[in-house]
Amino acid sequence: MKKTLAIVFLVFLFAVQFMNSYAIQRFPKPEFESGYVQPETLLPNPRAEMLAILDIAVLIISLSVVSWLVIKKRNRNAVFWMSVFALAYFGFYREGCVCSIGSIQNVTLAIFDTSYLIPLSAIIFFMAPLVYTAFFGRTFCAAVCPFGAIQDLVAFSPQKLGSRLNAVLGVIPYIYLGLAVLYAATGTDFIICRYDPFVGIWRLDASFGMFIFGGILLVVGIFIARPYCRFLCPYGVLLNWTSRFSRKHITITPAECIQCRLCENSCPYDAIEMPVTTKNPEDKGTMARKLIFITILIPILMLAGGWVGSRLHEPLASVNAKVRLAKQILNPVTEKNQPETFEIEAFKSAGKQQSQAFAEASVVLHKFYIGSWILGGFIGLVFGGLIAGRMMTKHRTDYTPNKGTCLSCVRCVDYCPVKLPK
Amino acid sequence: MKQKIIIISAIILLLTLVAFMVKDFFFSKPDNTNPYKFELDDLRKGDTAKAVFTETLQFKTGLEEIHGIAIDLENQIYVAGKEGVEIFNSAGKTLYKINTRSTPQSISVNGNGYILLGIQDHIEIWNRDGKQIARWNSCGPEAVITSIAVQGNNVFAADAGQKVVYRYDKQGKLLNKIGLKDPATSVPGFIIPSPYFDLGISKDGNLWVVNPGRHSFEKYTFDGALLISWSKASMAMEGFCGCCNPSNFAFLNDSLFVTSEKGIERVKIYNTDGTFMAIVATPYQFEAGTKGLDLAVDKQNRILVLDPVKKLIRIFQQK
Repeated sequence: MKKTLAIVFLVFLFAVQFMNSYAIQRFPKPEFESGYVQPETLLPNPRAEMLAILDIAVLIISLSVVSWLVIKKRNRNAVFWMSVFALAYFGFYREGCVCSIGSIQNVTLAIFDTSYLIPLSAIIFFMAPLVYTAFFGRTFCAAVCPFGAIQDLVAFSPQKLGSRLNAVLGVIPYIYLGLAVLYAATGTDFIICRYDPFVGIWRLDASFGMFIFGGILLVVGIFIARPYCRFLCPYGVLLNWTSRFSRKHITITPAECIQCRLCENSCPYDAIEMPVTTKNPEDKGTMARKLIFITILIPILMLAGGWVGSRLHEPLASVNAKVRLAKQILNPVTEKNQPETFEIEAFKSAGKQQSQAFAEASVVLHKFYIGSWILGGFIGLVFGGLIAGRMMTKHRTDYTPNKGTCLSCVRCVDYCPVKLPK
Repeated sequence: MKQKIIIISAIILLLTLVAFMVKDFFFSKPDNTNPYKFELDDLRKGDTAKAVFTETLQFKTGLEEIHGIAIDLENQIYVAGKEGVEIFNSAGKTLYKINTRSTPQSISVNGNGYILLGIQDHIEIWNRDGKQIARWNSCGPEAVITSIAVQGNNVFAADAGQKVVYRYDKQGKLLNKIGLKDPATSVPGFIIPSPYFDLGISKDGNLWVVNPGRHSFEKYTFDGALLISWSKASMAMEGFCGCCNPSNFAFLNDSLFVTSEKGIERVKIYNTDGTFMAIVATPYQFEAGTKGLDLAVDKQNRILVLDPVKKLIRIFQQK
């Protein structure tokens, strides 16, 4: 019965596809006037406003429920099922759009381009997780983000990477964030959406390249838990910063740590910080020297990064459509049998002057020059911070989650033998 | 050790993804092809084994525009064009020029050497000396006479405007109409979305009419009864493409069909049952956008193709 149904479905699918392809190939067109009036092109209606409000409501409710489950209930099972819900709703039902990660670009574009009207849902999806993180830590990552949810499902055999490797790979999201902001601010591209690894899976229409991209991330995710969240996600950078100042962050133990070490290897994301004994505390002089070194180093790195970035502004701008067009006008295709590029054809048919194209490209290049200085400086700051973090010794007596990198998944809680009396 | 290998492999995969993103974004060449362009190049290709004809002769006419071609019993070539008719011998040498004042869209020559011209909504008969012999009544304000054929005492005219074939006697008296839609007699009616509507008399004396919107040939009795039809709708070389094709046809001496198309400009040969036989001329031999490749076949079975864009008469022969 199932087989028959499957065959009927496939025949229907192919029949529809065949009709479509046949309908396309009506060439040449008829020339006689027959009195037939072409129907107006119908555009699909925008998504109903109520549904956008529903998305916002689901986001807020999910954040509230997950935060309550993480902070108050400390219940891993419930958090897991919330992540399954997020995967179903924000992933497969909403097909990954609107998403908080991509909303960085909407917000950036709205700031730099006043003609861009940002949807309310994009603003809420950008702000709400940050606000909740400021209070409760990264509960959004725990079980509201579908990206995290899908990777969490495949983290079967997570390996410890060690703090150095985590720190080095952890620089990538900062660079990605910087580039995403630069390209959104200049109106060039939404690169986070362009390289969204899971959107093809949400929409069940992944191209081969997208399927491989998402598939490899999931395979890597078996051994390196949540690789996208930890080593690529640009929104994770903002959440990381915000979470460091969170008022109520999840703790491994609900009371006093008894140093049993049971939780030591419980975190698949290497986000548990070990106690640092105070046997050999650094003297004040050493600490002062380190502080002076860092205070000098960071501005130098920022300046150097900014300078390098500014030198690279032209290659960075080369992917901008206006800059690319100007380049193509300056260096037209000269190979035999090579047609003019599509952009040149469109430019010529629009009747624009070359000088206009050059002027527009020049404006974009200037924006990239400024943006590349800032991007380079930002990357310098990140490296400076990384070095500072490695140099400065923090003293801890307990096993605690790193408030920046902890994804509030509540796994570690189950390992703690200390329980509060009910 | 095993754990190290797993971690290193996973990190290499992760970094490969990052490298792919960088390469794809910064170093991939933009696709220069127009994604909205309807690509026909593949459809212009055909089986080279079927290309058994070669162009042996071509000659220009003195007419500003050329619309129709016909052959008489003496193998002379008649070309109708802007405000005139030009007559050539079989080698392409001009014999006569006739000024018709109006511009004929279609042409035929009867057994007496009279020239029948389809001029917009009516037929005119001229002799070779440039004298108008007759002017038949208008077929109607919307008539466009796109093809004429003569068989004995019958003259057939295809009217693309009103989607019908007229049968006249020699004096221009309308005897009957052929091809009007009639479910009772299974006549489907002509679908003619463009002003290309051809008919012809096969060597065995049968009337064949193109039904271009159906990509078919229909064989009628002179009284208008539909006898048989065949159709070949396809974008491939084996069929007729687009909204309405073939635009023109003629019969070889062994009653095979020679057809021409617009959109994808090509000339081909079909068997009497519609089996694709051979390619006479490929799209690469015409300017893109050429329409109205009228056809004629002379006594030597040479295929004459009227090329209105290059203003040439092009003669093809079997290799």
